Amino acid sequence: MRMLLVEDNDDLAETIIDRLRSEGHSIDRESNGDQANSLLRHAQFDIVLLDINLPGRSGYEVLRSMRARDDQTPVIILTARSQIDDRVSGLDAGADDYMVKPVDFRELSARCRVLARRKAGNASNVFTAGDLVFDRGAKRATVRGQDAELRAREIQLLEILIGNLGRMLTKEEVADKLYSFDEAPSLNAVEQIVARLRKKLEGTPLVVKTARGLGYMAYVAEE
Amino acid sequence: MSPKSDRSYSLQRRLLAAMAMGFSALLLIISVLLWNYARDASNRTYDLLLAGAALSVLDRVSTGPSGITVDLPYSAMEILGLAPEDRVTYRVFSDLEGEITGTPNLPEPRDTQLSAAPVFYDADFGAPFRFVQQGRQLTTPTGRVWVGVQIGQTRAGRSAQQLSLFVNGMAGLACVSLIGLGFVWVAIRVALAPLRQLAQALQNRDPADLSQIDGAPPREIRGLLDAINGFMRRLHSNRTLTETFIADVAHQTRTSLSALQGQLSLAGDATSFDDMAVRVQKAESQARRTVRLTNQLLTQAMVTHRSETDMLKPVALKPIVTEVLTDMLRDSDMRGVTVTLSADSIVAGDDLVRGDAISIREALSNLLENARRHGPADNTIDVTLESTGPNHVSLIVEDAGPGIAAADRARATERFTSIAKDTAGSGLGLSIVRAVAESHDARLVLGTSPAGGLRAEMRFPRMLSQKTARAVGAAMMVMLAIWIAPLPVAAQENVSLNIASATDTAAMTQLMERFESLNPGVTVSYREYQTVDLHAAVMAASPAEMPDIVISSSMDLQVDLVNRGLALPLSIPDVVQLPDWAVWRSELFGFTFEPAAIVYNVELIAPGTLPQEHRELINYIRSNETGLNRKIGIYDLRRSGIGYLFATQDVVQGLQSSRMTEVLTRANVRKFCCTSEMIAATAKGDLALSINTIGSYALAAAAQDDRIGVHLMSDYNLVMARTAFVPKDAQHPDMAERFIAFLLTEGQTVLARESELIPLLPTADTFAAGHFDLRDFAGSFLPIKLGPGLLTFLDARKKAEFLEGWDTTDSGFPPD
Repeated sequence: MRMLLVEDNDDLAETIIDRLRSEGHSIDRESNGDQANSLLRHAQFDIVLLDINLPGRSGYEVLRSMRARDDQTPVIILTARSQIDDRVSGLDAGADDYMVKPVDFRELSARCRVLARRKAGNASNVFTAGDLVFDRGAKRATVRGQDAELRAREIQLLEILIGNLGRMLTKEEVADKLYSFDEAPSLNAVEQIVARLRKKLEGTPLVVKTARGLGYMAYVAEE
Repeated sequence: MSPKSDRSYSLQRRLLAAMAMGFSALLLIISVLLWNYARDASNRTYDLLLAGAALSVLDRVSTGPSGITVDLPYSAMEILGLAPEDRVTYRVFSDLEGEITGTPNLPEPRDTQLSAAPVFYDADFGAPFRFVQQGRQLTTPTGRVWVGVQIGQTRAGRSAQQLSLFVNGMAGLACVSLIGLGFVWVAIRVALAPLRQLAQALQNRDPADLSQIDGAPPREIRGLLDAINGFMRRLHSNRTLTETFIADVAHQTRTSLSALQGQLSLAGDATSFDDMAVRVQKAESQARRTVRLTNQLLTQAMVTHRSETDMLKPVALKPIVTEVLTDMLRDSDMRGVTVTLSADSIVAGDDLVRGDAISIREALSNLLENARRHGPADNTIDVTLESTGPNHVSLIVEDAGPGIAAADRARATERFTSIAKDTAGSGLGLSIVRAVAESHDARLVLGTSPAGGLRAEMRFPRMLSQKTARAVGAAMMVMLAIWIAPLPVAAQENVSLNIASATDTAAMTQLMERFESLNPGVTVSYREYQTVDLHAAVMAASPAEMPDIVISSSMDLQVDLVNRGLALPLSIPDVVQLPDWAVWRSELFGFTFEPAAIVYNVELIAPGTLPQEHRELINYIRSNETGLNRKIGIYDLRRSGIGYLFATQDVVQGLQSSRMTEVLTRANVRKFCCTSEMIAATAKGDLALSINTIGSYALAAAAQDDRIGVHLMSDYNLVMARTAFVPKDAQHPDMAERFIAFLLTEGQTVLARESELIPLLPTADTFAAGHFDLRDFAGSFLPIKLGPGLLTFLDARKKAEFLEGWDTTDSGFPPD
């Protein structure tokens, strides 16, 4: 993956770059908000890791101008402050995730992978996770080469989950996306569809986690 | 710990206020006593008036051929008139013959025994009245008989005097109280001096000096000093604790960093790669612990700081909990942990607490972090948000980890106490939770979860439930709506103001037109009466047919109507300065100035030849008896109220009146109903002179007719005023009041310029009445005073006797 790290602290930047390079990613670094902004205008990245306190312009401004020109590259905000206000304004400005410094590298890698998969799932017609292959165009999923025999609602649900990998969706949100305005969405029906889909996907790395009272989150389990 | 009250108050002011309240209570008691005293005193004063009037009436009771009779003395009513605001009523009766004169059926005293001693009593007679009853024994041909007199007077004068005595007394007392309070103030300042010294001593202290304050304070502030010293002790121990904490933090951080450094140094010295890898791994986990320790120390500091800066505001717990859980679930090492949130029983508004969202978030994060750290990889974490009783909401975190033994729970919330050595906690997690709970007045309860792990409950006091809030809001809206509701606007109606008056319509026309032009929408309707008819009409009128204004030249009849309580008190602008004689009880107002004048025919009597004084006038008539035979005009007293008024007032002025009656009789005087006829007859030469004509008409006539002369006397000239009042039952009392105010202000100018009447108040045009300058006679004018004195000659018996005596003037000719 091609990544951009925007971080003004050289020592921290070096460790992150070394870590991500060792995982086989190609990574560029900018230490100045203005320069990062102009670079982002011309170059395409798969993921941007963005610090907030930057010389030049702040991480929020960089992020906002990205979203303003419809650049949907996934962004993870790295913030030194753990205050709720930072989190809210980061997500409001259009960040996909945020992490608090000091960052656990393993967690950072994991989050990057989730975002990459989410991006891939949204961008291409075919989504692959281990022995699960989902062809969005053909509305068809195969597990170990066999047709998983998903019904229409289950296909829809799978599409929603893949598009929101690593993101918690409440039951109401799922119902809203699953049913049109005219249909009466039933939360019980959502539960049943999730249960059926989970059963059909058993054995594949795509896990649909249920947190009762909170919602559903899909992720790709790694070995 | 810090005092929450920001309302400061002054001890001195409080003491002063308490003393002031004490003084007020005293004043209240004194005021009750003073009020009663003032009432008794004013009663005593005014009872003397009643007693005097009663005595003077009783003095005039006599037996005659027609039984017992009374000649009501003018002085009796004049005595009562000394209380200028009060209405009067009287009754004379005897035990044999019953009513003699006055108002029958006056209230009687409870002790009805008639005696020679005056009995005073209060009774209600349309208004609160004070009565006197006194009797006298007379010897008549038929035997001894008791004659009683009752005189009543309204209480206005008494009440005014009572109030004045009371107010003056209270004002004095209030002054004394204020001076007393001044002394109290000084005393308080002196008493509080030790407190100021204490403050000074504390202020001058070195901030680091926490030693005890010495000194021998007064007993009253011994407690305060002890409390301050106790506080100093606690502050001292607190400071020691803080120092210990800083030492602990330094120790923990250094230990952690030393261990990290040690592992790294060992890794550097390692001889084999495997050895080095093991050391580096240990160094990494040590670094993780250091990071966590640092994070928690910072969190602890932040939470403590925020609790001290009082950042509490209404927050909903459920969104905070959902957000923290959602954030945590994104961590990849949470994938094996089962997390549930049970908050279905919470309705919007139920979870509102006064809190700091960031602190609550940190507390929950630490509880969850503890559960994750100490529990297995497939841990179950159940978070519950529920109402606990009506006033609390609980946030409960339960896990399936090892839990904390009951014996260790108290210790677990202390700083740097890690119960589970093997999982290497920093020992700060639960102490952060406890700090947050304390700053929110919440309780932290530790227990065992159903799965055998730890159950941590934070029980927050809840704010008002939304239901209550909504009810309050609705109530406010209703009140607001009522408040804003448009007030009904009084419509500007067309008002018809009815004036019943004994005055020539022509004389009033200009006034009414001017008033109508000043008040658009008002029509004045005017009905003319003779004075006696007007009096009778008002007495008989039902409320619906009561006129709005009653105007009459007959002052005594007007006084009688007002004395019966028929008039409405008016508030006339202060700029109107009516002379005392022309106003009574703020109800009856005079507005013209009309001297009685003699009109003569200049061809029959040469101008300037008439005598200047009443005594000489009698001699003049007597000596010209033949020439003046049937050539003198006077009022017919039976038909004219104004004539009767002038005649009776002449009697009051002196004894010449009986001689006057005599000479007039001999000159075969002629009687007329009104001034206009007398003037007409004089102009034609039918009369040589007319006595007691209304001066304003006479002057107006003389100005137009050369044959007429007007003569004023130099000893005295009676002056009457036309008076007006507004009846209680008037249909448009407000407009009527406005008319009377107009009458006494701008109306005076209108009268002076555009009518025959002479205004009462001096205007630029007042004295320029025709060719005659009234100012030449200023000293001789004797105005008739409005008041109870005028009631004397309205007494039925008195009037009958007076007219009987006057009838002898009847010369046998029919009146013209």
